[in-house]
Amino acid sequence: MRSRLSQYVGFAPAAVLFGVFFLAPLALIVAYSFWEVINYNVVHHWTLDNYRYFFSTPTYVTTLWDTIWVAAVATFLTLLAAFPLAYWLARYVRPSVRRLLLLLIILPFWTSYLLRVTSWTTILGEKGVLNRFLEAIGVIHQPLSFLLYNRPAVILVLVYLYFPFAALTLYATLERFDWMQLRAAMDLGAPPRTAMTRVLLPQIRPGITTAVIFVFIPVLGEYLTPQLVGGTRGVMIGNLIVNFFQGAEYTRGAAVSLLIAALIVIMLILFRKQLDVAEAYGR
Amino acid sequence: MAGEANDIVAPRGKLTRGALTGWAVLIYFFLFAPIVLLILFSFNANQYGTLPITGWTTHWYKDAFNDYQIQDAVKTTLSVALEVTIISTVAGTAAAFPLVRSNLPFRSGIRAALTLPIMLPGLLIGVSLLTFFTSTLHQQLSNQTAVIGQAVYTTPFVILVVAARLEGFDRSLERAASDLGANAWRRLRYVTLPLIGPAIFAGALFAFTLSLDEFVITLFLIGGGNTLPIYIYTQVKFGITPEVNAIATMLIAASLTISIIAFALPSAVRAARRRRRHTVPAIEASTP
Repeated sequence: MRSRLSQYVGFAPAAVLFGVFFLAPLALIVAYSFWEVINYNVVHHWTLDNYRYFFSTPTYVTTLWDTIWVAAVATFLTLLAAFPLAYWLARYVRPSVRRLLLLLIILPFWTSYLLRVTSWTTILGEKGVLNRFLEAIGVIHQPLSFLLYNRPAVILVLVYLYFPFAALTLYATLERFDWMQLRAAMDLGAPPRTAMTRVLLPQIRPGITTAVIFVFIPVLGEYLTPQLVGGTRGVMIGNLIVNFFQGAEYTRGAAVSLLIAALIVIMLILFRKQLDVAEAYGR
Repeated sequence: MAGEANDIVAPRGKLTRGALTGWAVLIYFFLFAPIVLLILFSFNANQYGTLPITGWTTHWYKDAFNDYQIQDAVKTTLSVALEVTIISTVAGTAAAFPLVRSNLPFRSGIRAALTLPIMLPGLLIGVSLLTFFTSTLHQQLSNQTAVIGQAVYTTPFVILVVAARLEGFDRSLERAASDLGANAWRRLRYVTLPLIGPAIFAGALFAFTLSLDEFVITLFLIGGGNTLPIYIYTQVKFGITPEVNAIATMLIAASLTISIIAFALPSAVRAARRRRRHTVPAIEASTP
């Protein structure tokens, strides 16, 4: 029999990596958020000033709500776009073709995240493809400037970036659904809409929750998309954090970071049950 | 299966089906238009990297190849990715074993905690490690600090991939090896590793590609060096250039190649093994 301790030896390298370079830095950020900066030096005075400062500055509070709002709208639109596609793939497409089409959904993932964001600036910019195209066919005579550097542009790009997550998750649940159940429901007299909401929807709900989580949470921490396509009108909380740290306001930056981290952890705990159900359903 | 019950189930099945197909076409256009445009503009003579197309050229590729900053960035990217891959493959594989096999208390809790570096924004990992390196460890930022930051993010992926494989592992094979006199090392070398090898390889490849593409963590931790994403970022701040489009196209080609290898290799290896397994008994049968 192996000794009790030796069975955990494998954890050692990962424990060092996560303990020293993940948990310790996080703990430091927690401490920072309760300290203060005096003359560009972090002083170990315990205080709630950083949080007070954040919540008493209207621009910051607005940015926090805007971030949550942007994440919610982007998540909703992503799922709205992804559901019909997943449904179509799972129900109407032959399995042999399906493999190829699924591969095509994942394909954009294999191209650089940064480039997928920047390519939108070549589409939406004043000299961009869309403007040039509309000019060429004579719809407009001046380039449209409202396409880029605002919140709708950020949401569009976010939907683009996170679409594959949602589509694949939804497909995975829909694929397991037995379509004959719909027929059974309708044979028993249910109108199509009732069959959908009472038979299909309850069974795919865990998948929908998982898709929501996988889009909403990463969007909350987005930095690059608002930075590149959002301009000053598309600022999100991630940009705020970076600005604080670049401006040597470390403790305030730490407080904002912690707010976002707390939000995410709370959501993960809240939805843990649903996510587990999703797993249980898969078996 | 999919097609058979449709038209009976939904009275307006044909219409629904047509609308959904149209939507799918739009979606695939939406997914690929930006990427196709990048590739198109990398061959476009127009120096602003936009419409109209003023002629075809490979000039931007030559420029990109001869740019020493780009050469430097490619070297840095590859060496960082290699180190990240080694660290996260070793640490991740080692951790997957006790995660699946030991009678660990709070196993699901530990598992959830291990996915935290994936779920938390990369921004947070970058900012907190930056603070930690500079204020606590008084460490100069370098490629190595970026490697550590990326490894924190990629290792959970390796753990998840390898653990998933270990869960479906038939442990009686290992017991059989021991019963036949294999020591711990030989059991690992000849039984365990060959069986979970594909998962370790997939995890390593995963870590490698994630590292190649990683941006936010690297931005905070790299110090003076440039990986390719960081270099591209400094370039596109002033508008996208045709050289960047050329690099983009090459990156797409490279990651496509890696992914095709990742998809094709495991089945190729399996096929090769099967062939060998078929030949071995034949030889044995002919010996006596």
